[in-house]
Amino acid sequence: MDPFSSAAIARQTWELENNIVTTTAAADNAAASDAIFYYDEAAQANFQQEKPWANDPHYFKRVKVSALALLKMVVHARSGGNIEVMGLMQGKTDGDTIIVMDAFALPVEGTETRVNAQADAYEYMVDYSQTNKEAGRLENAVGWYHSHPGYGCWLSGIDVSTQMLNQQYQEPFLAVVIDPTRTVSAGKVDIGAFRTYPEGYKPPDEPVSEYQTIPLNKIEDFGVHCKQYYALDITYFKSSLDCELLDLLWNKYWVNTLSSSPLLGNGDYVAGQISDLAEKLEHAENQLAHSRFGPFIAPAQKKKEEESQLAKITRDSAKITVEQVHGLMSQVIKDILFNTVRQSDRSQAESSGPEPMVET
Amino acid sequence: MASSSSSGLTFKLHPLVILNISDHYTRIKAQSQPPPTTSAANDAVSPPPPPRVFGCVIGVQRGRTVEIFNSFELLYDPSTHTLDRAFLEKKQELYKKVFPHFYVLGWYSTGSDAQESDMHIHKALMDINESPVYVLLNPSINHAQKDLPITIYESELHVIDGIPQLIFVQSSYIIETVEAERISVDHVAHLKPSDGGSAATQLAAHLTGIHSAIKMLNSRIRVLHHYLLAMQKGDLPCQNSLLRQVSSLLRRLPAIESEKFQDDFLMEYNDTLLITYLAMFTNCSSTMNEMVDKFNTAYDRHSRRGGRSAFI
Repeated sequence: MDPFSSAAIARQTWELENNIVTTTAAADNAAASDAIFYYDEAAQANFQQEKPWANDPHYFKRVKVSALALLKMVVHARSGGNIEVMGLMQGKTDGDTIIVMDAFALPVEGTETRVNAQADAYEYMVDYSQTNKEAGRLENAVGWYHSHPGYGCWLSGIDVSTQMLNQQYQEPFLAVVIDPTRTVSAGKVDIGAFRTYPEGYKPPDEPVSEYQTIPLNKIEDFGVHCKQYYALDITYFKSSLDCELLDLLWNKYWVNTLSSSPLLGNGDYVAGQISDLAEKLEHAENQLAHSRFGPFIAPAQKKKEEESQLAKITRDSAKITVEQVHGLMSQVIKDILFNTVRQSDRSQAESSGPEPMVET
Repeated sequence: MASSSSSGLTFKLHPLVILNISDHYTRIKAQSQPPPTTSAANDAVSPPPPPRVFGCVIGVQRGRTVEIFNSFELLYDPSTHTLDRAFLEKKQELYKKVFPHFYVLGWYSTGSDAQESDMHIHKALMDINESPVYVLLNPSINHAQKDLPITIYESELHVIDGIPQLIFVQSSYIIETVEAERISVDHVAHLKPSDGGSAATQLAAHLTGIHSAIKMLNSRIRVLHHYLLAMQKGDLPCQNSLLRQVSSLLRRLPAIESEKFQDDFLMEYNDTLLITYLAMFTNCSSTMNEMVDKFNTAYDRHSRRGGRSAFI
């Protein structure tokens, strides 16, 4: 069982490297590890009373998402295709951490950057949480999620105002954005968790957020509002039973890893990205042409920005290429595995014609 | 009770359902046993076995294929052995709004085996779906087991002792994932870093995924090979049906060898090369631009200084 133990070691290294707190462990403390699933109503009510977040706009720093909630959100986001969908997350708080236990979809569909809950959605929300409480899901709503198919995880102007409103009246509240298209393209879950600052608050020092590609037609919306919220660290947790099931699941669905082809499903997205890059290049070129003619007029500050703009485009193009090459790599590997076997095989097989498999 | 089904339906089960049942079970268990920190006093009392959980599975049936996409919790009344019907209808209505294509396919529960009382529940669901399915998850963790502890039952009418009776029959199922689902299952199963990571780690992760899948394929083929060898030696009885299956599997290789596939494959390949080329170009022009800027700066200063020196 050498391959299995090496896989286990690889996974443990992953978990160690990424500092991930697995709630699973040996059998003796399995019960204790599942304690995160216990909902202590009194403690939560107490926390609600204390409102430790009221004074510090940067109070919540971490998010823990259950495997179930992540799966539900990603599947729902993907089912929307190119339409934005949204839903609510249920969970609790623990110190500066918001724990997301579960999520459910709302019957709301948005277009472009406009996702907004309407009146009948509110009714749905109430209905759903009520029935959920009866079925033993005791946690309250701690946030909302919505999808940004193909244009990255950030908050648009409307998202910011929605989130700000919710943070005024429904604290603690969290906004999660998922990009299902990029998830499929990059082969990893593209997700972001955000909280807005109160109005008029100036963030002390801008933490360097991870750079991401934003399409040209959204860049203005992103730029105007990107100082009004901050991102939270996301970690994931699963129960001991989940862990066991996921391990066993791998025995069943490894075929899907081989049978999937990201190149086929994401052709549109890649084409869109490339045309977006072309547009951005044109922009950059125009600006450069301007500054070339008047190098003395252009202030140094502006020049620096332009450079980074071209550098950004380079980074974007590198990213999309890497993804594409990954896709091709799996295709080539599959071609070698399943199609080129015949050359060595056929010469023998054909000589004897259709032969019985085993002579007894 | 364990005989296999003859309805010929294919069941496709999504991982989301499995996680949903598992979560439901863990939640109820955690709630019935508060963590030891709060109940240190009555530690000696062994906790009662966690109750069974019940819920409804929803999805789509197309022809002979049943695809189970999602599930939701239901309330169970232990005194009458029935599910809360009003609750079910309410939930069904709610899910209908979000997922209009999904229908109620059956129900799920936890336990090691189907119980007698389960047939009551099963029959009660028959007016919603005339042949409901019953998904059973065994929550006890058994490390020796290599298969998923999940069984799907259908009901069949059999004549036993002259009386027609409904009994549960097992049916086989396969795990089905959509691409996004696969990625997130991978994500939580192997716990990859949530934030980007450099291109190198991404490549490593990608190749590791393919590698472990191929390793799995290899180990499966080795099992078959061992089996065939043993059969050839006469250690195992010869089973023609199995041999036929192996043979048909082998005959499917090479998987695709049409001209069209070769063309498309080459096209894909060249497209990717082209994209790589474009990216290189962009990179090049960016570097070039930087160089020109630097050159300009140096040249400007030089000319200015030169001018000044000439002036002086």
